[in-house]
Amino acid sequence: MKKLVAIAAVLMLVMVGSAIAVLAQGYATQPADAKIVPLGEEGTAYENQEPGVQGGTFYCAAISDPKKWNYVTSHETSTTQYCFLMLKGLVDSNPINSAIEPELAKSWDVSEDGLVLTFHLREGINWSDGTPFTADDVVFSFNDLYYNEDVETDTRDILILPDDTYPVVEKVDDYTVTVTLSMTFRPILNSIGAPILPKHALAQYVHKLNPDVPVGTFNSAWGLDTDPAELVGMGPFMVESYAPDQHVTLVRNPYYYHYDANGTQLPYFDKYVILTVASQDVSLLKFRNGELDALGIRATDVPILKREEAVKDLTVLVDADVAVYGTSWIGINQDIGLADGTYENLRTLYRTRDFRAAMSHLVDKQAMIDTLYNGLAVPQWSPVSYLSPFYAGRDYYGGPVTETDAVVFEYSLDKAAALLDGIGIIDRDGDGWRDYEDGTRVEMELNTNAGNTVREGVSLIVSDRASKIGLKLNFVPVDFNTLVNKLFASTGEMIVLGLTGGNEPNNGANVYSSGGGLHFWHYSAVDEPTELEKKIDELLDAGVSTLDNDEAFEVYKEYQITLAKDDLGLVYTVNPAFTYAFFNKVGNANISSPIATPSGTNGLTMDLCFFK
Amino acid sequence: MKLTGFRVFVLVSCVLAAFVVAGMASSITELEDIVGNEIIGRIAPNISAAAGMQLASEYADSKTQAELETLVTSGETAGIRTAARMALSIVYSQKTVIELTALSTGDIDPAIREAAAAPLQNFLIEMSADDLKTMAVSGATHEIRLSAADLYYLKIRGDLTAEKLEKEAVSNDSDELAYMAGEYLGGFYLSFAPKTQDELVELAKNGESEGMRVAGATALTSLLIESDLTAGDLEKAIAAMGTDYPELLQAYTDALSRRYSS
Repeated sequence: MKKLVAIAAVLMLVMVGSAIAVLAQGYATQPADAKIVPLGEEGTAYENQEPGVQGGTFYCAAISDPKKWNYVTSHETSTTQYCFLMLKGLVDSNPINSAIEPELAKSWDVSEDGLVLTFHLREGINWSDGTPFTADDVVFSFNDLYYNEDVETDTRDILILPDDTYPVVEKVDDYTVTVTLSMTFRPILNSIGAPILPKHALAQYVHKLNPDVPVGTFNSAWGLDTDPAELVGMGPFMVESYAPDQHVTLVRNPYYYHYDANGTQLPYFDKYVILTVASQDVSLLKFRNGELDALGIRATDVPILKREEAVKDLTVLVDADVAVYGTSWIGINQDIGLADGTYENLRTLYRTRDFRAAMSHLVDKQAMIDTLYNGLAVPQWSPVSYLSPFYAGRDYYGGPVTETDAVVFEYSLDKAAALLDGIGIIDRDGDGWRDYEDGTRVEMELNTNAGNTVREGVSLIVSDRASKIGLKLNFVPVDFNTLVNKLFASTGEMIVLGLTGGNEPNNGANVYSSGGGLHFWHYSAVDEPTELEKKIDELLDAGVSTLDNDEAFEVYKEYQITLAKDDLGLVYTVNPAFTYAFFNKVGNANISSPIATPSGTNGLTMDLCFFK
Repeated sequence: MKLTGFRVFVLVSCVLAAFVVAGMASSITELEDIVGNEIIGRIAPNISAAAGMQLASEYADSKTQAELETLVTSGETAGIRTAARMALSIVYSQKTVIELTALSTGDIDPAIREAAAAPLQNFLIEMSADDLKTMAVSGATHEIRLSAADLYYLKIRGDLTAEKLEKEAVSNDSDELAYMAGEYLGGFYLSFAPKTQDELVELAKNGESEGMRVAGATALTSLLIESDLTAGDLEKAIAAMGTDYPELLQAYTDALSRRYSS
């Protein structure tokens, strides 16, 4: 009898093992609606790439751990870099030419008046756990997550229309959804590309759908303590394991629906490991030693890697003419101490436009470019990325960058000092440091994320220049996630940080609109916007309300100039040129893209790279 | 009797012809044949070493730590000793900081100290630039001073310019710092302060200090690799070069090694 039990147990194990094996195999055959990436095909965006082979583990490094796995509630790239590997939207930007192209939707139609978009979804494709993807997931993602007021998400800010409505997402059948707009909304295809999430895995956390769970439960779903096996996605990779301060390991999603023209399922890599390291120095050392396959480098790394480029068979990619997407800035918290009635002097000072203008004059951009970037950077002044066709340094939509209308606060200690004198911030006791009117010293803390040597360098330059005119600015580096917490709790005084960017200015609505979830330098504007903030809100609305790009360009030009010259919510620093390094054994690494991320490796299109 | 450069060249050419088709990728077997050849090892140790550099992974996978430690010190050719030393670095990467420190500062064969000093960098990188500089000046052994000097310059890379490095490659607080200043300077000669190949050759031969010669050689290595010179061309150049210009010889050796791998 015991023997029979044992045999039964073995059989059970074999059967369970078989079931798991079937699941892990993914599709039995290539789905009819798979997305084919035409690598190497002439006349396509991918003609300079080549089909690869599956296999291998790709290594890179990051100096920050993720904060969670939940894209919807995330704010920081240390989290979203993983979410974007696990999730996909209805549409996406082509990694090479930025054109909007089909993703989970295989096609779409637009009504004559432009107000109704009908998306035809790919059929026969599955989530990473094998569950079929359907229109229910799309409707769930928008109606129950992004539009759900119980859910904390910045994505609402880029989906909201000027009339305060949202695109209405409705299921027609299992593989068709419509998106209906109440008015013209130029960037709808951009906004509607927000990642789609699995209803079958996440509905249980949404109070609206499951009243048994408290309101807001979803906000803590898919935290770092979640078993990776519970994470479900449609992207190329899924999290296999996570060890704090050590690594995140991702594995190929067996149900990813992208294939190359040879019929090989993507991604090519079996695994993708992101090592957590203490600093960019360690990343550089590990890359030099061959422990990493690619590295987002800084200009100061270029000479070091150039001398090893030929010997170690790597490529140091330097494109001095291409500034990375995104912005680098000093955030001055105008709400500091507002919650508990502290920091009154400092808050008043930070809310004074001329103080922020003085800070702008203290940003020695040329010194930053020369010493931190070896000349491989450009001065930054606008909230819109240099590469965007809407960048106000151009004379017209998509035109060449001329910087004719650039807002320039030239580095000038005299002008900065005069502005501070003008608002009564002077040295009243002769100790060499400037004081408030009540005689107490103006002393401020400047934070950035420790380990980012460039931001640390920016902070040191700014605090040094401030000290030259008697302004006491104490630089204190802190851990990245601590820094992010300071931003959201509104407890940081002054912060050097950056934001990702893209071509579409409206994607900055979550930052620059007065009610934006990332309006971190003045959160109280949601209730009491300044006149300038009201104007910026109006300009953002106007920019999305026209389908004419030339008209939108003029609107966004005024928006950028207003933000940079008058509002000065953020004081911009410099924008680095695109620099990247990878070992030549990595195929298709030349499709790197100038999008700044903590590890730099999202500059690579990870599902297309392979080992030669 | 000493071999003249020309006779070395003829001898090496004959021996190598049996192993390598110039310009072609070299298999593990071909490389093992080169490093195992005592004639090449004796009359053209740099060619032997160039092949040995490409065998490090193979040695690390196929030999024990004890075997490698023996080969590092008593391998019959420069190629075997080079392959073993580089393989030992790979094997040593599993050791603790205490073990690596003991090895890299111990009264043992310098090649073993060198093998340990490379993985030790993974721990030294946590030190401040000031502490690294102190170690680069007063570290117990040349190998640990060189490792520290490397990381010192890596840490302060944001402050480096070609002009600063040119000064420090000539005059510095330690020979190791001057040497590393030269290596980092070589990177500037390939990027922000470019020099011609002729200038680099002249610098590698007659630079006013070891550091400056290293700078020229470091940059020259890349230009040689990117040139049309075949493995055969580089072998001939090495064989004919003699030992009067060690930094120039090293540049050709490193370039040849890379050619063996491609």
